[in-house]
Amino acid sequence: MWKLMVTGLVLLGAAGVAQAEATILEITGRIAGGDVKLDRAALEALPPAALVTSTVVTDGQHHFTGFLMRDLLNHLDAKGDSVTAVALNDYAVEIPISDFYEYDVIVAFDMDGQPLTRDDKGPLWIVYPRDDHQALQDIRFDYRWVWQLQLLDVQ
Amino acid sequence: MTRSRHAILGLALPLTAVLVFAVLLTFSMLRMFEMQNAMRVGAEQNMLWVLHQSEVAALRMIETAALAELGEADQDDLALRLDILASRVALLNDGPQRRFVERIGMEDDLDRLQATLASVKTIIDDFTQGDGPRLHNTLDPFSRIFGRAANKAMIAEWDDMGGRLEASRGQLHQIIASLIGIMIAGGTLAVMLVMALRESRQRNRMLLRERDFSGLLISSSGEGILAVNREIKCTVWNDAIAGMIGKPAEQVVGRTLSQVAGFFETAPVRIGIEQALAGITSKMAYQPLFAPDRERPLYVDLRFYPMWNDVGIVGAILFMHDASDRHAAKQREAQIRDRLEELVTERTRDLDSALQRERSAADLYRNFAAMVSHQFRTPLAVADSALQRLLRRGPRADPGEVAERAGRARSAIAGLTRLVESTLDAARLDAGQIGARRVNCDMSKIVRTACDRLGDAAPDRHIEVSYPLLGQPITYCDPALAEQVLENLLSNANKYAPPNTSVSVVLRIDDEWLHCEVSNSGPPLSEKDREQIFERNHRGANSVGVAGTGIGLFMARTLARMQGGDVTLQAANEGTTFRISLPRFGEKTT
Repeated sequence: MWKLMVTGLVLLGAAGVAQAEATILEITGRIAGGDVKLDRAALEALPPAALVTSTVVTDGQHHFTGFLMRDLLNHLDAKGDSVTAVALNDYAVEIPISDFYEYDVIVAFDMDGQPLTRDDKGPLWIVYPRDDHQALQDIRFDYRWVWQLQLLDVQ
Repeated sequence: MTRSRHAILGLALPLTAVLVFAVLLTFSMLRMFEMQNAMRVGAEQNMLWVLHQSEVAALRMIETAALAELGEADQDDLALRLDILASRVALLNDGPQRRFVERIGMEDDLDRLQATLASVKTIIDDFTQGDGPRLHNTLDPFSRIFGRAANKAMIAEWDDMGGRLEASRGQLHQIIASLIGIMIAGGTLAVMLVMALRESRQRNRMLLRERDFSGLLISSSGEGILAVNREIKCTVWNDAIAGMIGKPAEQVVGRTLSQVAGFFETAPVRIGIEQALAGITSKMAYQPLFAPDRERPLYVDLRFYPMWNDVGIVGAILFMHDASDRHAAKQREAQIRDRLEELVTERTRDLDSALQRERSAADLYRNFAAMVSHQFRTPLAVADSALQRLLRRGPRADPGEVAERAGRARSAIAGLTRLVESTLDAARLDAGQIGARRVNCDMSKIVRTACDRLGDAAPDRHIEVSYPLLGQPITYCDPALAEQVLENLLSNANKYAPPNTSVSVVLRIDDEWLHCEVSNSGPPLSEKDREQIFERNHRGANSVGVAGTGIGLFMARTLARMQGGDVTLQAANEGTTFRISLPRFGEKTT
């Protein structure tokens, strides 16, 4: 618990310093210490995660790298039951937090070794391990793949 | 015929039903899998939403451009909106979306928009408020093209969905039809099952009734019935067999047969049961069955049968029938038959001997002339020679000599007379007209008379006679016939003995028989002669140049046998010995 708080503070500190740089993800709602704005460096400080999967909007399988959504929520000591993910085009989806604990859902910055850019599906894309679980090959999960992610609101 | 047709129908119908059931089930399942797959694919198409979002992005871009023209939005806002719009175009160019755009025939429009994005980007990079109208004009086609594409997407997707729904409806119809078929087949099977169950229950009832009836039959049968399992333990034991063995069923059922009674340990019964357990039926009659409380054994007929079920032999069954009465009757019958056989044998023997006598008599008559010529010649020769000498001597003969010669002639004639009488008597005897004139007589006298007579006929021949040292040579015979036999043999010996050799007569006695052996020296008889010498009219190889008819030995043997005796040729290396055997005593009177 102590360690978690320290890590959280370090993360917050880093975020504060990076304020001048481009914020790419904002987290609001039931998290420790109020709203947080994170730049790329702060997100890259999280334990890296990778997965290979196909998507419904592209052909073939792709290699995604980023961090686990549950690692981010744990670091921020998030308390809610669901997260509303909001994209740059104001597309908003409510995702149950249980998804992130049942499946290794990642927030990807890179696809096939190339950074995701804002004029494609970047900078951040919520990716489910679709190929590893039959249950995820469902239209009710497909709409949770939010790209151009900019805000997470924990409820 | 109808029965076999019924059986085929009874088998074919359920088989057909099962087949129809399986085929329809497989068919409907395949159809359902197809539908499931179709539903999954359909759920992933959402182009209308994608195009709508694209149109929104374009409109937001135009809105931001208008604000920028008024100075209420800066370059960063424009860059963000452009990036969002560019990301939409990029999304539409990704695999599945691009293919859909091609399907609705708007790929050229998309490519044009993609190209336009670059010029939009150059305007925004150096944006001034004066660039507003130019930016408007450049952005104009985006919302228009996206709107049109959304329109087409809607139509395509609805067409698609309509087609899919129609296909699904068709598949559902097929599935429903299959299900109806399955229900019919299942119903048929269920009905048949119920019928089969009813039939089987009815059969079971009948079987039970039959079993009860069999049980009744077994228990009330007068025949003993027992059954054993493969371990030869008793499983069935009815009242009849309980009576025969003397043990009630309670003491027997469940126990090994060998523990029940010694009867089941006897070899035939044990083997019978073993064979029945090996599948061989057998039966045996009149087996003695002893029971402790019975004085005499029962005689029982046994029948062993194997007991089968579907799998194999499960035991053996033994039927035991009390055949004591039949056995006793059979014993009596056998005794009567034996007695009858004895009687028949006895009668046959009597008849045989009568026939034999008849034949002998007939033979005698037939050969009477021959016998007369042979037997009568010697005494006639003796009488003739005595009378001739008397005639030759004439008056010179003194009274003593006359008396002596006449006496000799008379003696020979008396012998002839005796011979005639005894022959006739013997013939009558053979014919069964008179009894045997056998008496006890002294053989030594007969020997002496016969020897004297040979001495008269052949004065040159020396005769040696020896009598037994102990006991009287008494014999039970007809003296005339005995004398005749002896004379025959002596005459024979005299004929075949070389000159200047003697003829011997030896009398011997034992417990039963008197033997008189007449021997002469000379070469032994050939084997062939020995065999045939007693045959009528047979003349030996050495008889050439010797007077004779070949009847002497036949006569001697026949006459001896008529008196219960025999004449045999004794084995010898040298000379010839005939033996007369006569019984010493008369037939025992009981």
